[in-house]
Amino acid sequence: MISRLHRDHRAIVAFAAIGYLVLTLVIAILPASKVQGTLPLPGAPVRSAEAERGRQLYLKEGCGFCHTQFVRDLPMDRPFGRASLGADYAREAPALLGSERTGPDLANVGARQPSEVWHLIHLYNPRAVVPQSVMPAYAWYFESKEHADAGDVVVPVPKAFASSDEVIAATPDALALARYLLSLRQFSPAPGR
Amino acid sequence: MSAVASPSQQLITRQRSSAAADAATARVAYQYLVWATVWLLVGTVAGLLPAIKLNWPDFLPTPWLSFGRIRPIHTNTVFWGWSTMALVGLAIYVASRTSRAPLWSPALARIALWLWNATVFGGVVTLSAGWSRGPQEYREWVWPLAALLGLGVVLNGYNIYRTVGTRQLPEVYISNWYILGAFCWLLILYVTAYLPIYESGVGNVVIQGYYMHTAVGMWFTILAVGVTYYALPRLLGRPIYSYALGVLGFWTNMLFYTVIGAHHFIFSPIPTWLQTIAILFSVGMMVPVWAGTGNFLLTLRGARHAVHQSYALPFLLVGILGYGLGSTQGTFEAFRTANIYLHFTNFTVGHSHATMYAFIAFIIWGAAYGLVPQFTGREPNPIIVGVHFWLALVGVVIYVVALSVAGVLQGMTWAAGRSFIASIVAAEPLWLWRTVGGLLMAGSHVAFAVNVWAMRPSVRLSEEISAIPIQSTRHA
Repeated sequence: MISRLHRDHRAIVAFAAIGYLVLTLVIAILPASKVQGTLPLPGAPVRSAEAERGRQLYLKEGCGFCHTQFVRDLPMDRPFGRASLGADYAREAPALLGSERTGPDLANVGARQPSEVWHLIHLYNPRAVVPQSVMPAYAWYFESKEHADAGDVVVPVPKAFASSDEVIAATPDALALARYLLSLRQFSPAPGR
Repeated sequence: MSAVASPSQQLITRQRSSAAADAATARVAYQYLVWATVWLLVGTVAGLLPAIKLNWPDFLPTPWLSFGRIRPIHTNTVFWGWSTMALVGLAIYVASRTSRAPLWSPALARIALWLWNATVFGGVVTLSAGWSRGPQEYREWVWPLAALLGLGVVLNGYNIYRTVGTRQLPEVYISNWYILGAFCWLLILYVTAYLPIYESGVGNVVIQGYYMHTAVGMWFTILAVGVTYYALPRLLGRPIYSYALGVLGFWTNMLFYTVIGAHHFIFSPIPTWLQTIAILFSVGMMVPVWAGTGNFLLTLRGARHAVHQSYALPFLLVGILGYGLGSTQGTFEAFRTANIYLHFTNFTVGHSHATMYAFIAFIIWGAAYGLVPQFTGREPNPIIVGVHFWLALVGVVIYVVALSVAGVLQGMTWAAGRSFIASIVAAEPLWLWRTVGGLLMAGSHVAFAVNVWAMRPSVRLSEEISAIPIQSTRHA
């Protein structure tokens, strides 16, 4: 059979397909099925609907191409938080571990930078708060208007980044994105549990 | 000599009757190459823009041209538009030639081509509109587009399978092992990547590692190696060094490549045994890589003069070296120590261009320049081919060196515990060099487009095709 394989294209295809299917099952599908049931840490907070909407915008804008949410158990990753656990990603689809760190890791950014105003200014134009930043400005999530209306969240953008006769107001999308970033806090159960 | 037509006379009769069918095969293969080139140009623009934005982040600040939206447009367009269509166009021709049979159904191949064009176009539109499955590399497209792509894979795979089934020789030539295997494997891995039933939480990461890796290694690598197994001996006019090494490479590639995707997630919460197997088998990858590379280099041995005389062979030579060196680099990147300092950095992006460009794209170009004139009867201008070669080669070397250095600098600033922004400041001058390399590469793509036009089939293609002797020396 094997010695005649080179004369039988059906057999080549069959062996290649079956062999690959078995390997795919063993290396991908079965382990994935097993670990997808990982539960969140007991007591971990559930993300608000607004923050979840922010997560959808985070996916839409491809933020995860430059920002990991994946802290490795390595000294150089310490500034970003504790090592990530499978439980941190429970019930998320897709999990946003990421493969490139052009910008800093965001697994714990809500704790590292807890100011909503900072996040809003930073989203409007990152260079307004970090001069060397190369992150895109997400100005389309903000409105530029002459006067703030009732209920507007006005973003105190430095004068160099907005003309003096306008106010910058955050749209609901900008707020949702900021709330999502603030919701990125690594959870640890209270000690002694 | 008897009254009954001799086998060679029968062959000539069949050749004449199938001249029109051969012309149809040639025409559809060329159409794949033309559309691949269109997507190459689109994908190049989509690559240059984000490269420029890393130095001038407020350049073209429109939502649909923002970095995070256009980056997946670049990767998906050059993967599925450029590399896939070009390799499948070449594979159609190779499968038909090595089977001594016309393509089973050129019409089916044309339908698949338009399915794929619609898919890639839809991908550009949807991703720029922000309709995305999120940053899951190479499977960002929404599922209806993935379904269209998959349908095209089934149609083309079946078409080539039937073509090989009508072969006039008892053996399945080694190129067709690779071509048929690639279609089988892409279908399985693509369906696996889009089925949503085991993708919650870390399950998604296991599948992402498997998919992002095997989509490259079980499709592009396999097709490119398969095409090389035909193009190289054909252009050199000598047989491949070893058929057995080709078979060894085929099976070991399946065994090793499939299980090493997890090396993209070393130190992650996916099961440790998966990570360790991935690292071990990444070393195993040296078997298929050097079985292929070695086989090609041994076939080339003593052919310095032929390489010098040909404008196609230098591309194949760079592609073969790109295969061996790029893949070896990949093995070293899989080690845990290398991962600590190089993972997450631009080093990885340099590596993916060393492989998808210095290997895959150069093989496509070498095969296209070597084979297309044989079925269209038109040669490109050798000077413009030379311009293409040197711009592409110098461009990709600048690109890969710049990003490798940038990656090492990023890793060093992180290891030194400096503020994160230091890694951006350190990489920025090299990003400018990356754009310089990218501009040279873009120039080479324009030269290639000019050459594709120059190689277009003449109106009298069918007559010319019938004048080309199809018989191999084996039958003579």
